[in-house]
Amino acid sequence: MTDVSINHFTYEYPKSNVKVLNDVDITFKHNHFSLLTGPSGSGKSTLLYFIAGLYPHFIGNDALGGIKFGDTDINQIPRNQVSHSVAMMFQNPNQQFAMDTVIHEMTFVLENMLVDPAKMDDIINHALAFCGIDKLRSRIINTLSGGEKQRVALACIVAMDPPVIVLDEPFASIDPDSRLDLIKKLKLLQQDHDKTIILADHDLNDYQGVIDEFYYLDPDSHRISLLDSQSAQHFFDNFKTTQTINKRIAIPTDDAPAIININDFKLQPHHSLLLKLNQFKFYQGKTTLITGANGIGKSTLFNALTKLLPYDGSIEYDGKNIQKIRPLPYAKNVTLLFQDAENQFLNITVKEELDLSLQNRTNQAYSTDDVQAMLQKLNMAGRDEQVVYSLSEGQKKKLQIIEMLIMNPPVLLLDEPFKGLDYRSLEVVVGFLRRAKESFNQTQIIISHQLSGLDTLIDYHANFADQNLTYQEVIK
Amino acid sequence: MNPGLKLLLVMAIALEISFTQSLIVNIILVVVSFGYILIQRVSLKALLGLIFWPLFPAIGLFVSQWLYGSAGIHFAWILFTRIYAYVFLGATFTLTSSITDLALTLEQDFRLPSKFAYGVLAAFNLMPKINEEVKIIKTSALMRGEALHFWSPKLYFKAILSSIQWSQNLAEAMTSHGFVEDQERTHYRVIKITGLDWFWFIGLFACVQGLLFFIRY
Repeated sequence: MTDVSINHFTYEYPKSNVKVLNDVDITFKHNHFSLLTGPSGSGKSTLLYFIAGLYPHFIGNDALGGIKFGDTDINQIPRNQVSHSVAMMFQNPNQQFAMDTVIHEMTFVLENMLVDPAKMDDIINHALAFCGIDKLRSRIINTLSGGEKQRVALACIVAMDPPVIVLDEPFASIDPDSRLDLIKKLKLLQQDHDKTIILADHDLNDYQGVIDEFYYLDPDSHRISLLDSQSAQHFFDNFKTTQTINKRIAIPTDDAPAIININDFKLQPHHSLLLKLNQFKFYQGKTTLITGANGIGKSTLFNALTKLLPYDGSIEYDGKNIQKIRPLPYAKNVTLLFQDAENQFLNITVKEELDLSLQNRTNQAYSTDDVQAMLQKLNMAGRDEQVVYSLSEGQKKKLQIIEMLIMNPPVLLLDEPFKGLDYRSLEVVVGFLRRAKESFNQTQIIISHQLSGLDTLIDYHANFADQNLTYQEVIK
Repeated sequence: MNPGLKLLLVMAIALEISFTQSLIVNIILVVVSFGYILIQRVSLKALLGLIFWPLFPAIGLFVSQWLYGSAGIHFAWILFTRIYAYVFLGATFTLTSSITDLALTLEQDFRLPSKFAYGVLAAFNLMPKINEEVKIIKTSALMRGEALHFWSPKLYFKAILSSIQWSQNLAEAMTSHGFVEDQERTHYRVIKITGLDWFWFIGLFACVQGLLFFIRY
């Protein structure tokens, strides 16, 4: 029996006296699928890193209280035995592999666990088959999509075969089909292979009927409570109502003023055709939502629009071919909110980051009071001296959005801007974006898998499918 | 040939020709290395690059020694060919050996701590990402109103920050994949240094000694 019990567990980050976790006292039951939810930045990851035995080793200061696997205190487990007890799947698919190919990574994992080399082939074959990725065996990991990488990460865990599996928002950047598939695989691991699963996610899709226990981390008290089925149902229902856009969306008319004109356009990085457009327009002062499955080329389109990638054909901004506009002025006019918030940061502290935007902006749309109010609304006030890289993923996203809004570019491309944000923050950000559009006439093009809460923002909807981009009325 | 021994051999020869002055041996080394690379079917582009890029430092050294040096044109030619000998010797290793094999043999046969072997390997596998990252950093900086050039400290600061972050994430990932420093591991692929490896290593090294001893021009 490997109940994972958390006993009066309290943790605060080094050099801060804000408790991230406050006297958490719960037991994740053996052979149960436990979902841990709560707003971004509330400390879910921190707890999981402790359970996985990565903290305190990688963070420096220990927590009060203890974590036990069955009767064994986690601190009593020798370091080379930890991975026999627990394995972890990370949020960022790109940084969890040490080796070049899938097969090398899997043998690396088994070698670490002192598995007899003669048994490795069978274990690897079984793990790959279980995850449905036999075909990826010899592929180079860098060339896989996010969904494929997370499947490889799961295959590694299956090969390691620990009794406890923890997952930290593992589906944050993968497509819905991969997500559903991976959740089913996890359920199978729990039911048929006796695993204890602890998964943190703020997106509640696809978990109903799958999970056994629903835990909620309250962002104000920093405590975790186990919800009864009624309260859990309430959370699910609440989440569901916010997951769709029920409104019919207008199709742009021909006479609407366009700001970006795409003609005879072909996008084919690595010689595989992703997108072919004879003519396509993005409209001025409107918010266009681009939907479509992951890995289909949506972000790649943004890379072409920002001249990060070569393409065939022409893209015109405001009537001028973008290749004829010099890099700096173009970047100030057509700006990308990167999917990975860290890409946007140039300085060290939160204050330096905000000051850079205030200093380099081309217009004074936002007053310093506006900026303070925005920080306040997103719970980001008073973090001036914090190092941006030490913020949680959700906090990084919030800071990134605020600093790019301050720049107030005429066209803002947003690549998964709501990733890692809880619903309340999302509503606040949507409010900011509406203000930027309505008061400052900003054109916004958004790629998002998260649809709920966007109905008041979206003017047009373009669906990306079959190497084509078409305006549609309905969002499915 | 075992990649670890090959690396050792290449480095030993390179060190030796730094302290000896034989034009003909340099040329022999270039020709033999070139022949070896040809047999291993390396891409034409890489081959042309190998010939083209060293031209600049080689000509630079040649001209400065020829025009301003005191040792005459013979020494200038030695410097010229030495550059090419370095490059082609290095290429016999880099173009034909897998870095994964090198890490494996360094760990298993040369008793290098596994954290070095796999740390270097993991870093190496991140290399293509670094190029992408630099481009992204530059574009993202433009969007925040800053033009970063290759001499901008901020570009390096940012690139170094990214790599620190990556290395932290990577260390966490390796740990969660069961890797613990200085602990015993099993090996799926056992790389042994064979008698044939030693034969080539000692034979080739002895050949070079002989050449250097007898050919002084």
